[in-house]
Amino acid sequence: MSAPATPPPMVEMVDLNKWFGSHHVLRDITLGLAPGEKMVLCGPSGSGKSTLIRCVNGLETFQEGKLRVGKTVMDGSGEALAAVRRATGMVFQHFNLFPHLTVMDNLTLGPIYTRGEPEDSAIARAKPLLERVLLTSETWKYPGQLSGGQRQRVAIARALMLEPEVMLFDEPTSALDPEMIHEVLDVMEDLAADGQSMIVVTHEMGFASRVADLVVFMDAGEIVEAAPPDAFFAAPSTDRAKTFVGHIAREGDQ
Amino acid sequence: MDRVPASFAVPKASDSRPPPHGRRGILARLHARYFASLWDTVVTLVIGLPLLLMAWFFLKWALVDAVWVAPEGKACQLASGACWAVVAEKYRVILFGTYPFEEQWRGFVTIALWIGWGIASGWRRVPLAARLWGWLVVAVVTVVLMRGGVFGLSLVSTDEWGGLPLTFLVFAGTVAGGVPLAVLLALGRRSDLPIISGLCVAVIEGVRGIPLLVVLFFAALILPLFLPPQLNIDKLLRAEIGMIIFFAAYAAEVIRGGLQAIPAGQEEAAKALGMPYWTRMRKIVLPQALSVALPALFNDIIRAFKNTTFFSILGLFDVLGATKAALQDPVWVRYGLEGYLFVFMVYLVFCLGLTFHGREMEKNAWRRLGRGEA
Repeated sequence: MSAPATPPPMVEMVDLNKWFGSHHVLRDITLGLAPGEKMVLCGPSGSGKSTLIRCVNGLETFQEGKLRVGKTVMDGSGEALAAVRRATGMVFQHFNLFPHLTVMDNLTLGPIYTRGEPEDSAIARAKPLLERVLLTSETWKYPGQLSGGQRQRVAIARALMLEPEVMLFDEPTSALDPEMIHEVLDVMEDLAADGQSMIVVTHEMGFASRVADLVVFMDAGEIVEAAPPDAFFAAPSTDRAKTFVGHIAREGDQ
Repeated sequence: MDRVPASFAVPKASDSRPPPHGRRGILARLHARYFASLWDTVVTLVIGLPLLLMAWFFLKWALVDAVWVAPEGKACQLASGACWAVVAEKYRVILFGTYPFEEQWRGFVTIALWIGWGIASGWRRVPLAARLWGWLVVAVVTVVLMRGGVFGLSLVSTDEWGGLPLTFLVFAGTVAGGVPLAVLLALGRRSDLPIISGLCVAVIEGVRGIPLLVVLFFAALILPLFLPPQLNIDKLLRAEIGMIIFFAAYAAEVIRGGLQAIPAGQEEAAKALGMPYWTRMRKIVLPQALSVALPALFNDIIRAFKNTTFFSILGLFDVLGATKAALQDPVWVRYGLEGYLFVFMVYLVFCLGLTFHGREMEKNAWRRLGRGEA
């Protein structure tokens, strides 16, 4: 056996298949995310990209294929699930902050109750994270008192509290007003510049071309095309990708 | 060339100013509310006058012509109004039932304790944990005091307990045991494991399909036939268990409604943070679900207070049962109406107190959740 030239992927899927009832939503998905790299998943709605990213941290189960996150092979056991969730942090389209808790408690609750971290240590780690997402002044507010962009930045800080090996973003800017999208994207680009591995489901093609190492285009549960952003946007090789890029480009002109 | 639109909007810089005032003054407001038009005036008079007339007849009977003191009931026989003397004469039986007369000071202390903490804990700034611990202390003190057998207090068997202290204890036990059981049943009903969810559905639907009277009869009279004779559980305790299960079956559905109101994203976020099931429930889902369920839950809690009256059919004298017993006295038997009115007032006062408690808790919950995500 020869040693691999490149480090093994952080996240690896091999021939992953998933059905909702008889509906085949993920078909023979094979992909790998290298450490420190950023993967952007795009495609029309219903293409399976959200389902795919939710499989990574076990929010969705799959029927066939292999999934490995870090050192953990997802075998459906409770231990594997816990290990995968320790290794990943997730940011949702609708933020899913806990409305009955302050911003600070939203950040510290996870580490305190899943790792048994002492409260003062969790608070000490939370402060620089809130500073990083520019929300120090909102520390003791409740989510309902914040704007959408602020809420999503809290959600990012909350996921970072777990010091995840991989960050998963599931359409993080789709529920935001246009003027708030950039403040969230700025934080994500800042993270990317720091070498955080991430998988991002998004329609923000500007973000994809600036940040992504690999753009993966999905349609009808299949990976149709995968290429670095320059190549993907300049010359999509399939008709389906061409149509999609064309739509996106027209929106960008407006 | 651009067409000039017919629509228009006028840019204008204006300072902010207060809204214009409506009409002021009590008379003006009364007029606006009750006599604004001929129709309003007719409605006010048609509904208002009979109400005033009934209120006057009632007050004349209850206050003006009433007799307050009547040794041996003599004065009451001549009066045309209410005979409140029956309450003065019988209040100790009403309040304490068959509890030994010379030990009834314990009952007084108990009632003072419950009302005292009831009022004190209604104060908004008392945190929920402090309220609950306070009630636990109150309940333990009550049981020790009522039962005796320690600290030089003579032992009083639960068969002799009665009146308001019994009502309080049964009610508190029902809520204290019923709410946690209801939470478990509601969570169990949503479980993925078919045995657990099936069992919970069976308990909830089964108990909801049976009258409380039957549940109590079963718990107090039939259950002992199935249990080994060595396992001699107190009748009061058995009936209490019946009350708890009955309460929990209804409250479980109320709490399930609260659980359904919480978006799935809340649990997903907690899962993504790696929280195990019970942590997710305890810290994320239940605090929100119970806040949502609070109004309906207090509906059940108030009903539980009134359901304590069912204990009288088991030969246990709650306030209503004790009143019924007190009014057996041939001298006073004619004044049952007054006796029952007094008990109704007692129930009304406590139920209103519970309503007030519920409102305060709701406000607290909404102050937190009202800031919640839209």
